[in-house]
Amino acid sequence: MTHTRPTAPPSPAAATGAPAVELRGLTKTFATRSGDVAAVRGVDLRIETGEVVAVLGPNGAGKTTTIDMLLGLTSPTGGSAEVFGRPPRDAVREGRVSAVLQTGGLLRDLTVRETVRLIASTYDAPAPVEDVIDRAGLGAVASRMVSKCSGGEQQRLRFALALLPDPELLVLDEPTAGMDVTARRDFWRVMHAEAARGRTVVFATHYLEEADDFADRIVVVAQGRVVADGPTAEIRSRAVGRTVHATLPPTGRDDAVATLRRLAGAADVTVQGDRVRVVATDSDAVARTLLVELDAHDLEILTGSLDEAFVALTGAAQTTEEGR
Amino acid sequence: MNTTYLGLELRRFARDRASLFFIGVLPAFFYIIFGATQAYGGSPLGNGNVALYILVSMAAYGAVTATVGVGGMAAVERMQGWGRQLGLTPLRDGGFVLVKITLAVVVALLPVTLIAAIGALTGAEGTTVAWTLSLLAVAGGACVFALFGLCAGLAFRTEAAVSAASGMVVVLAFLGNVFVPLSGTLLAIAKFTPLYGYVALARYPVTEGRLISGDGASLGSDPLWLPLLNLGVWSAVLAVAAVLLVRRGRERQ
Repeated sequence: MTHTRPTAPPSPAAATGAPAVELRGLTKTFATRSGDVAAVRGVDLRIETGEVVAVLGPNGAGKTTTIDMLLGLTSPTGGSAEVFGRPPRDAVREGRVSAVLQTGGLLRDLTVRETVRLIASTYDAPAPVEDVIDRAGLGAVASRMVSKCSGGEQQRLRFALALLPDPELLVLDEPTAGMDVTARRDFWRVMHAEAARGRTVVFATHYLEEADDFADRIVVVAQGRVVADGPTAEIRSRAVGRTVHATLPPTGRDDAVATLRRLAGAADVTVQGDRVRVVATDSDAVARTLLVELDAHDLEILTGSLDEAFVALTGAAQTTEEGR
Repeated sequence: MNTTYLGLELRRFARDRASLFFIGVLPAFFYIIFGATQAYGGSPLGNGNVALYILVSMAAYGAVTATVGVGGMAAVERMQGWGRQLGLTPLRDGGFVLVKITLAVVVALLPVTLIAAIGALTGAEGTTVAWTLSLLAVAGGACVFALFGLCAGLAFRTEAAVSAASGMVVVLAFLGNVFVPLSGTLLAIAKFTPLYGYVALARYPVTEGRLISGDGASLGSDPLWLPLLNLGVWSAVLAVAAVLLVRRGRERQ
């Protein structure tokens, strides 16, 4: 195998401009002692070359499992995953895709430079070791043992390893988990530079802010499914939904709350005394129901924070799931 | 073969002072205490002398300690995330296994070479054929026990488990007639334990199967098929266990 991808596409699919990522009906079920657990329940996703996509979702939404299948680290229970029109493992072998994984994955008794050299030795034509160390900002700690590196430095080392094959697609699984604010900012500055080189970037995160700052497109995942997918601005405006507050009449309050919970546009309903608070994806519908059907008064509609937005997007999936 | 990877693995090993001591130095020290400095060392035995017999025993102990450690750490590393990191590279499983097996052999040769050198200078004697075949059997047979370390690492997933497995080698060595010549019931039991076949095979070029007793009494001899059968059965048991444990690990991923 040689490093000839720009001139000699390895398959007809790649020549005809296959998408960077194509997931079709992807599912993954794990067998556990207490029965089967479905981590991914049918994900369809197409990512074109050059896109910067955030996969956003709470812990346990199936982000890591989906990424593992996309990278060929785990095989799907159902559906298919293709990278540049090829099976993921082939794309990995050709050095067209690489990734920064969430945790572990480093040998503590090697130095930073030795780790880069080791992984570089598995490729036919890797980027120069010193060049990669510089780009990941590891020059100052290159001779340090991995065990003596901070969490942020270890994460940048994983990033350096991902740069070695000069990949067309870079996948990052919660790349800034465990980093402090400064390290996080530095990391994204470096990532911006890499994205500017025209790489396709897919990253998983549970920080909406990160997705908002960095991605062109956001895919929201909850309960193993895609619950929203669109340009960042659109998802943001949809997500940064509203909270509707109102006072319910004293009689039939429980029935009223039950009605609100059944409402498609209501993501989360909480009651405090005689006030009800509804996190809404469709605040108009919620307000109409409150005023017309439920005889509520003192209605207020507030624009939510990013955190509430997140609950609105992923919580909706949660309630549908529980209602099944 | 990825020689960069192998070179870095050797460097990692050299950094681990505790392993260097237990694998490299301790078996050689045992040989000096129980072989080189003992009066009985010079007594002739088969195609060599008693010192050579003890030399082969201690070299076998050192070599097995080495391969158990390498096999165990390979398993633990892979499960602690390094396997995922390597899964993102073009390196195939076979390439990884080749590096680790070569590492196990090179590391096992450390105590073997050291003890052989000390022995040659301090009175271990034997025919060239006995020396060569015995040491080759020590190095080759030790590879089987990399599987023992691998199983311990796969089953318990911690570095402590690998250390415990290396420690177990001492117990298995006593039970396997490696350190102290056994007799009676203990010897009868020993013939079923994992290290018995390995060390008996390694000694065969020297003893031609004759069993050595602590008090000079005759214990008869083992036919060649006995150590071969013992080693063969234990290789199969360890290989099957390793395959089952790898499969269990895959399903849990």
